[in-house]
Parts: sequence; C-alpha cells; structure tokens
Amino acid sequence: MYFLDDYSGIFVRYDLKRERGEARAVAAEDEVMQNVIQCVVEGDTDNIGAVVRKALETKDPMDVINALVKGMNEVSRLWDEGVYYLPQTILSSDAMLEGIEICEEKMGKALAKKGVVITHTAEGDIHDLGQKIANALLRANGYQVIDLGKDVPVDDVVAAVKQHKPAMVTGTALMTTTMTAFERISKRLVREGISLPFVCGGGAVSEEYVTSFDLGIWGKDASQAPLMAADAVSGKDWRQMREKWNG
Amino acid sequence: MAKYTSMAYKSADEMVFGTAKYPVKYGRDFVAGGGFVYPELVPHPRPGSEESKKSLVREYEKMVNDALERCVQIGLPGLQIELEHVYQMTRHPDWGGEIAAATKRIMDDYYQKYGLKSAIRATPADYRKPDEENIRDGDALKNILATFEASAAAGADNLSIESMGGKEITDYAIVRQDIRGVLFGIGVLGSRDVEFLWKKIVEIANKYGATPGGETDCAQANVAMFMAGGFLDKSVPHTFAAICRAIAAPRTLVAYEQGAKGPTKDCGYEDTIIKAIAGIPISMEGKTCACAHSDLLGNLVAAVCDLWSNEAVEYHDMFGGTTAAVFTEILGYDVALMNTAIKMGKAKDLRDMMINSDKYRDTHGFILSPDNAYEIGKAIVSNAESYYSRARAAAIKAAELMRGDARLLLSDFEKEVLESTYKTLLSLPDKEDDFIAECIPIYQKHVRGFKPANYGL
Repeated sequence: MYFLDDYSGIFVRYDLKRERGEARAVAAEDEVMQNVIQCVVEGDTDNIGAVVRKALETKDPMDVINALVKGMNEVSRLWDEGVYYLPQTILSSDAMLEGIEICEEKMGKALAKKGVVITHTAEGDIHDLGQKIANALLRANGYQVIDLGKDVPVDDVVAAVKQHKPAMVTGTALMTTTMTAFERISKRLVREGISLPFVCGGGAVSEEYVTSFDLGIWGKDASQAPLMAADAVSGKDWRQMREKWNG
Repeated sequence: MAKYTSMAYKSADEMVFGTAKYPVKYGRDFVAGGGFVYPELVPHPRPGSEESKKSLVREYEKMVNDALERCVQIGLPGLQIELEHVYQMTRHPDWGGEIAAATKRIMDDYYQKYGLKSAIRATPADYRKPDEENIRDGDALKNILATFEASAAAGADNLSIESMGGKEITDYAIVRQDIRGVLFGIGVLGSRDVEFLWKKIVEIANKYGATPGGETDCAQANVAMFMAGGFLDKSVPHTFAAICRAIAAPRTLVAYEQGAKGPTKDCGYEDTIIKAIAGIPISMEGKTCACAHSDLLGNLVAAVCDLWSNEAVEYHDMFGGTTAAVFTEILGYDVALMNTAIKMGKAKDLRDMMINSDKYRDTHGFILSPDNAYEIGKAIVSNAESYYSRARAAAIKAAELMRGDARLLLSDFEKEVLESTYKTLLSLPDKEDDFIAECIPIYQKHVRGFKPANYGL
C-alpha cells in the first residue's frame, strides 16, 4: 500500500485550532463541602455516596444539596465551553442525583421539583437513547421526569398527559415512518382540549414536519430539553416556544 | 462454538474492492465479490405510506421501478436493492412478504426484458426490547422470524438483520464513556445474541434456498460513531467511538461463524475487519450515504468493498428524478469508476487513493484503514478463547494503533480519553467468566430491566 508523507490540503482539522476553556476551581467554605463539589465536577459516582454521607454528619441537607448544584453548575459551564463532552456531563448528573437522593432521605422528604415533563419514544420505535439523554439532563436540572419508555402507543401518551398534567411532553423518533405518531398525539390532545408544548426530535425528525401540526416544537438535540422545560414552566405557550426555538 | 482462528488474507495489501475470497451468487445472475463491484440501493418510504399495506406496497413498487429504470437508462450492469424494513413491514410479516414479492416481480421483468442483473436483500427490523421482554421467546422475535420466512418465500435472495442484543447496556455505557460496559454490551451480550439469532436465520435461509447474508452493529457502534459526529461535536469522544467500533468487529463476526455468507450489511463499518478475517464479500457505505448521515471516512470505507450503498434515502422528487433513481445513478457511477480501475489493472492505485483521502482525517478512518483493520483482525483471531477475550483484544489493539501513530492528530482531550480507556482495558479481567461475574451486578444495578437470562446467562 502507498501512503503519503504529507496530507496537507486533503483535509483541515479546524477543531485543533479552536481554543478550549479550562476547568476552574469552584470554592466551598470547607474541605467537606469542597469534596462534594469535586465529586460532582469529576463525575465520581463511585465516591459520591460516601462523600455526601460524610458531609451530612455535620451539615444541613439543604446546604449539601446546594453544594451538589454548585458543582453541576460548573459542569454545565464546562460543557457549554466545550471543555466537557456529554459523558462527563451525564456522569456528573448521575453523581449529583445520587447525592440529592441521599440528602432527601435524610430530610425525610423529596426536594420540590421545578415542574413535570413527560418523555416518550414513538410507537414502533425502540431507539430511545436520545430520550434517555434528555431524561438525564432534565433530572439534573431539577425537573420531575415521567419516563413512558419506548414504543409507546398514542393512547398511552394521551392518557399520561391527562393524568399527570405536565408542563411539557416530549417525543423521540429515529424513523420518519414512526414519527407520524407525533401528529396523531397532537390531534388527540387538541381534540381533548389540552394545550401544552409538545417537543419532538431525533434522527430524521425535521423542523418542517414538527411545525406542521399544532403543539409541535422541534428539538434539535437533547441538550435543549432543560431550557425548553424552563420556558414551559415559566408559562410560555407552544406558539411562543415555537417562535423562540424554531424558524 | 467454532471461532475464526486465522485470517482469510495473507496481508492487508491483498484486499481490494470487488473481489472477495468467497464470492456469493444469488438473485438474477448476481455475484458479490466476484471481481466486480455492484451498487446497492436502499430506498426508504415516505412518512404516511406506512398507514396501510396497500399504500406501502405501492410505494415500494414505485421506488424499485424508478431504480431499475434508471439502471437501464444509463447502462448500469446490475443492482441490489435492500428492503430495509420499516417497523410495520416486520410487525406484519405479510407486509414484508408482499413487498419482497412485488420487488421480485419487477426485477424479473427487467431481467427478462433487458437482462439487468439484480438481487433483493430483505432486512427485517429487530424491534425486540431487551430491557422489557424475553428476547429469546417473545412476540417480537416470533414476528421477526415469521417475516424472514415470508420474505424468503416471496423471493428475497439475501436475508440480513441489524440485531439489537446488548443495546440496553451499551446505550448506558456509551454516554458515560464506560468502556467496560461497551465490552460487556457489544462484546459479550451482543455476540451471544448474534449467535442465538443467526442460528435461526440460517435455518430459514436454507429452508427457502435464500442466502444468509449479513449482520451489523448499527444499533451500538454506529450510535457511538454518529454521536461522536464531526469535529465540532462534543457528545462522544472520537477515540472512544473508534474503540467501540473495534469491539463491534468480533461481535458481528459471530454471524459468519454461524453460517452467514455475506455480503455484509452496508452500515457495518466494522466490515473491513470482517473481510480480512472471513474473506466474505462486504457491502459498505460512505460518501454516497451523506443523504442519511455524515461520516469522516467517505472514500476510505470503499477501499475493499464489494457492494457500494447509500444507507437510506427517503423517496422524494429531485430535479434529476426521484431519489430512488438519482441515488441509483450516483452509486452506479461510483462503482463504474471502481470497475474501470479493475479492468485497467489499477484497482490497487484507486484503493490507495481512497485510503489516503481519509486515513488520518479521524479515528474511525484510521482504525478501518485496511492496514490497521488487518492488525485488529489478527488480534481477534489470536485471542479466540472467548467472545470477551477477542473483543477486549480488538479494543486494546485499536487503542495501541491510535497511540502509536503520530500522524493521527488528536486534541488533548481525545488523548486523555484514549489513555484512560486504554488503561481501563488493560486492568479488566483476563477470563470471560470473571468479567461476566463482575459486570452482571454492576449493570443490574444501573440499567433498569437488564435481564442476563436474555443472553443465556
């Protein structure tokens, strides 16, 4: 086989020319809390339990939760700046949620959530990784996620919306021939007099298609889910959200 | 279970597009890997056409006819069409069967009128849900097998699948950069499921005189590759995705150990490694599948292909005709160039141009460059004690190749990921039993619905 010595001009690695941000030390008032923050920033799911339990020996659970959230905020910054990739963010989210669960046990009650979001993957579609990522990011941002799973019949989505009255519902699909369930869900909800943002995305799901039916807002990728949920919880209706996120 | 312990080719340089050690003949005078590259078109129906059997059959009739007509219009010698099932075609086995029958009728007609060589690959959808059902004895499996039967009985020449075993673990692991989980999901569970499924597919193919065709780790390794994306994406590190691909090779190889003959499934980017080991014809996709997804090895991946595919294109009108016709033409000219190079005795020159285009563009092209793919293949056949041992060996070899070639440019972050992944791989148990015993409690805790019994564990 013949190999060139010089590959210049055949391709350009623009990514190597970009400057990357850097991790900043996030300070806490003492070592115990610093360890809590550090575990979240490093996505250390092996040690978060022990570190949080140690902190709870001397600290108020709400203060520990605030430290966990502080760590996650730093992770969000690092992701936004391109220092962290998705896996680092997911691991940090796992660590934070595990820590919060331990604090909630200590408090004897669950932390108030920002709002309820129902997520599902379309009927006939078993490709639910995008949904799982959205679930993790929504939970990490303080939302209660009702995960209906994959291959979910239209009737089940409509019934869940009626039962849980979420601020927002999401649908994921890989194939164009399964995404047609979204339009059927939209029609059913409208017929039932229900109006809420219905964020649809994944694979071959296009903005043109999702914005062709009532309630539909196209989600480009799972990372948008928490920001969209914030809009829904703040009272923006589906038309306002579509105007903001699509077009 | 018997495993490959030697390479089909004496060296990487022996491999070239159009020729496989073990060509496969089926369909209407169609030979894959017999000294000639054929196009493989994968048309996809429009949303809404799946609403009824009648509308879906009609959609396929139009797509197939448009493709074959274009072959005749521009003088293409032959074409394979893949019926890559949308969910409804497998959920209702008679739909899949009827579409295969309609495709055969049209192909027979073109063969009789014009002598156009052609073949049908039927690929039922594996819609089993490992975390929700018994995947070895559930309704989904029954429908999938019934659809294979209906398709073969109706005239499908080649039976293939993109199986899902292990995906519940791999989905969890890929987004956490957990190489142990990927090895378990793809290397162990995936391999065991491919073995289980392909025994049945080969039986059905033999019953109807069809060819047991190909497998792909689309559901797992392609997820890693697509999430890794381009140079601006920050979802999955590219070095990690490349190691996932190396792990996929011994898993997909199981299908051929069970009796599949090829050509392999087009979206199995691991197929270059498969060809080096098994010598079967491979179908590949690259630049001409940009209609379906982007990749960073658009030319390189054609270097040793025997069929050349577009992955999937939805049926629509374009200025130059329908997408079925247009992509048939694009694929047709792609392979015409390769076949011309073969005729002129320049096949290896063109192959090397393809390789040099993309070998150092990114990690996937690097490990799938035939020279490196061959080295990964050697690691697989030299570590055939278990599915786990050869998957781990493939992963370690891929990591070592990336670590050892300074011309592969990596960001600092990618270097860190590569080093930490390599270190983890070296620290894992040597024995499969020990590895499985380590993994089961971990992933039962973290992955809701994971059932070892689905994999005979």
